[in-house]
Amino acid sequence: MFGLIGHSTSFEDAKRKASVLGFDHIADGDLDVWCTAPPQLVENVEVKSATGISIEGSYIDSCFVPEMLSRFKTARRKVLNAMELAQKKGINITALGGFTSIIFENFNLLQHKQIRNTSLEWERFTTGNTHTAWVICKQLEINAPLIGIDLKKATVAVIGATGDIGSAVCRWLINKTGISELLMVARQQGPLALLQKELDGGTVISLNEALPQADIVVWVASMPKTIEIDTDNLKKPCLMIDGGYPKNLDEKFQGENIHVLKGGIVEFFNDIGWNMMELAEMQNPQREMFACFAEAMILEFEKCHTNFSWGRNNISLEKMEFIGAASLKHGFSAIGLDKQPKVLTV
Amino acid sequence: MHNELKITDMQTLESNEKTIDKSTNSISLDLPDFTTDSYKDAYSRINAIVIEGEQEAHDNYISIATLIPNELEELTKLARMEMKHKKGFTACGRNLGVVADMEFAKKFFSKLHGNFQVALEKGNLTTCLLIQAILIEAFAISAYNVYIRVADPFAKKITEGVVKDEYLHLNYGQEWLKENLSTCKEELMEANKVNLPLIKKMLDEVADDASVLAMDREELMEEFMIAYQDTLMEIGLDNREIARMAMAAIV
Repeated sequence: MFGLIGHSTSFEDAKRKASVLGFDHIADGDLDVWCTAPPQLVENVEVKSATGISIEGSYIDSCFVPEMLSRFKTARRKVLNAMELAQKKGINITALGGFTSIIFENFNLLQHKQIRNTSLEWERFTTGNTHTAWVICKQLEINAPLIGIDLKKATVAVIGATGDIGSAVCRWLINKTGISELLMVARQQGPLALLQKELDGGTVISLNEALPQADIVVWVASMPKTIEIDTDNLKKPCLMIDGGYPKNLDEKFQGENIHVLKGGIVEFFNDIGWNMMELAEMQNPQREMFACFAEAMILEFEKCHTNFSWGRNNISLEKMEFIGAASLKHGFSAIGLDKQPKVLTV
Repeated sequence: MHNELKITDMQTLESNEKTIDKSTNSISLDLPDFTTDSYKDAYSRINAIVIEGEQEAHDNYISIATLIPNELEELTKLARMEMKHKKGFTACGRNLGVVADMEFAKKFFSKLHGNFQVALEKGNLTTCLLIQAILIEAFAISAYNVYIRVADPFAKKITEGVVKDEYLHLNYGQEWLKENLSTCKEELMEANKVNLPLIKKMLDEVADDASVLAMDREELMEEFMIAYQDTLMEIGLDNREIARMAMAAIV
């Protein structure tokens, strides 16, 4: 069995969905009620791979909403309780979706192994970051040429280069794509220097300097709401891959020949027959999903029951190649620009 | 340039890492000072509630046995276990030099106690099991789970032992209700409507004292809802039925 731990994109959204699902006790509740709400196993589903293998899985809503980010004890409990539920249900491999893996990592939840009478087994969980990183790289390789960007001549900026996904993307770009130049942007300079040393390449640069130079920008840190970008200074054409969470880049980058692509989203070859991705507001909810969720499915298809993506900076090229090949084999493909024609004019 | 990235909300947490790490660690390491007057004052009531709760559980299981005489042996065993727990918690108070305020605790349980006695007199086994095996047990286990994280070392050890037992015998009433769900569902729902709000009130009433012991009200309520939901699910109720029952907690 595979599991997916997800959550709503906002409190209002969560209440609306709870009402649809018949969870009236929380649909009518205020944020305090949601803070005390247990995780919910919302849906069970059977998925058949392109190879014909069938697997079963469950979607668990942690009842976390982004409005709880400022209450770190609440956020921590939401994540740990959802993980405990997944384990108690006997799920072999569960992906931590949305903010779940970010909270796990940043709130250092490794030290909270014991949840009530359950000792969490980390090998049952994956952040899904390896697959997400691979999908973002494929989206870059496939879509840049479609809008007239020659990868061999392209300058690529990775914003959030030292994160788990960001560093994996940098590693792949340097070693696997033959791009002309890699610009690496991150807040912390120490890890950036280490990454540059490891890659033996790439230029450490500020965001404001990077943007006007880049043909392709991969965002794997979310966009701060207050940031102001002068789109006139961007290269045209420019490919923006929104690999962060939540995906809000298209609000910022509107302009002719600026192409914004939702990063880290995959499409399955068949309709799945679930309701869960409608909750995640996918464009084609019967087929589309976050690549991190797909990683749990792929690992279950492959009977690879291990915390494949775990911790920080553990994503190797070999792991990306493994998950990428398995992803294609079982019928997943990265969504492209044609899925969402967002070449907007101001 | 990084200073220009002002973080408002919905940001990846990478940016807040330092603050969060610091606060996470300080919270998990910070235990209350068990020797202060304010701690002991609050403890005199919380400890009394726990002792009285175990006594109630003992008495209730003995009473329930009068309604299902062929389970006498099993229920007597459970009742004995509750007495053992009562002794353990009494020792916790003694260890801190605190005299438990039993008068307060009796009053604290009086409404629930009254409802149980009425149901017992009428022979309403389902109501008795809802009050004892679901509500009181979930209330106890949630409080113990939260308390373990902030208890003094002596009480921590005692409470850990108790929790192990509680997880075992939470199942008894659960099993009976599961087997008889088709005939007892209506009474279960009705009894829940009357008694779940009492638990919510009891949690509210004890919240200030609990917070002196570093037990967070929100966490207590969440733990309770988890234990409550788990039991109802085991009994065989579906998500919508559980949601309908849990509705009674929002009053």
